[in-house]
Amino acid sequence: MDELDILKKDWQKKGDELPKLSYNDIYKMIWKKSSSIVKWIFIISILEFVLPNLLFLFPGTREHLLKMYYGNSYGTFFMVISFLQYLVIFYFIFQFYKRYKEISVLDDSKTLMKNIIRTRKTVKYYVIFSLGMLLFIMLAQALTVYFDPNMLVTVYQQELPPNITPDKFKSIMVITFVIVALATTALFALIYFLLYGLLLKKLNKNYFELKKMEI
Amino acid sequence: MSKELEHAFVTELENNQNIVHKVCTLYTNDKDAHNDLFQEITIQLWKAYPKFRGDSKFSTWMYRVSLNTAITLYRKSKRKVSTQSYESVIFKIKADEYDETEELQLKLMYKAVKQLGDIDKALVFLYLEDKDYTEISETLGISEVNARVKMNRIKKKLKTILNP
Repeated sequence: MDELDILKKDWQKKGDELPKLSYNDIYKMIWKKSSSIVKWIFIISILEFVLPNLLFLFPGTREHLLKMYYGNSYGTFFMVISFLQYLVIFYFIFQFYKRYKEISVLDDSKTLMKNIIRTRKTVKYYVIFSLGMLLFIMLAQALTVYFDPNMLVTVYQQELPPNITPDKFKSIMVITFVIVALATTALFALIYFLLYGLLLKKLNKNYFELKKMEI
Repeated sequence: MSKELEHAFVTELENNQNIVHKVCTLYTNDKDAHNDLFQEITIQLWKAYPKFRGDSKFSTWMYRVSLNTAITLYRKSKRKVSTQSYESVIFKIKADEYDETEELQLKLMYKAVKQLGDIDKALVFLYLEDKDYTEISETLGISEVNARVKMNRIKKKLKTILNP
């Protein structure tokens, strides 16, 4: 007899040794909150869509940001860019919602994993797009500070320190802008990839395992 | 959702809870994790229940949702602590029913099964539950041929563990 069949014989007798939950135990369970990874992906994704836009809710920041964006001679350029950006963001949200809805625990394991990964990928592309835009806009701001004298006044409203020439000050500002732009983008990217890396480690491993079988 | 639906669901699950407990036993290492996974599977079953139309048996449908939850949706990774202290149900073997070699063999085999990867475990689980390859392949989303090939590999693996 096959080893596994010996095991099977024993396995089928396990019934009476298993824990037994009562009707009430089970009834209570159906009202508990799920902590599945799909739910976590949903929550984190919503945060990723919403958080960057929350900055605009603070009046101080909003005015400052608006002035920085549009309060210079390149205002129209930045306006068009943000308009396009929102179009793309809405497309991503729509796509995310559509794919999220496709996730069903009733599918076979492989399809379920594939759909979760596809949903996550939408968010991944969104984040890459957002980070790209963030970097692009911050670098473009640095350029406007360099070329547009009004911009410098908007960004730095106090008197210049006496021992510094406007030109030197401008260079320092531009370099600072570039460094901040790179650092912010890198930080967000790191947080993002760590977060999803940890969350989806098991899923990716199992999906790979299933795919391997098909080769 | 209506009271009747709640009642129908809880009754069905109460009668078929062994399936879920068996999945939990295979995929977790301590009592807390077992209960935690059981709860998550219950929630997933309940959420999907309105879509269960009765065109398949309740138990068949439970296998799919339970395994999907254990393999894919369940978030907490297997806790590695206190695995020693918890003597899981599957290691309790009624001594009088088997001779010593067989008992030892069983223990070794259960231990080996618990060490398998998540997907291999699912295959073994469905096999132990007497599912045919059609059902195994449909549950996991792989072809029947591949399910057979994989199962043979697992059998060989277990053989080498038992006869080193």
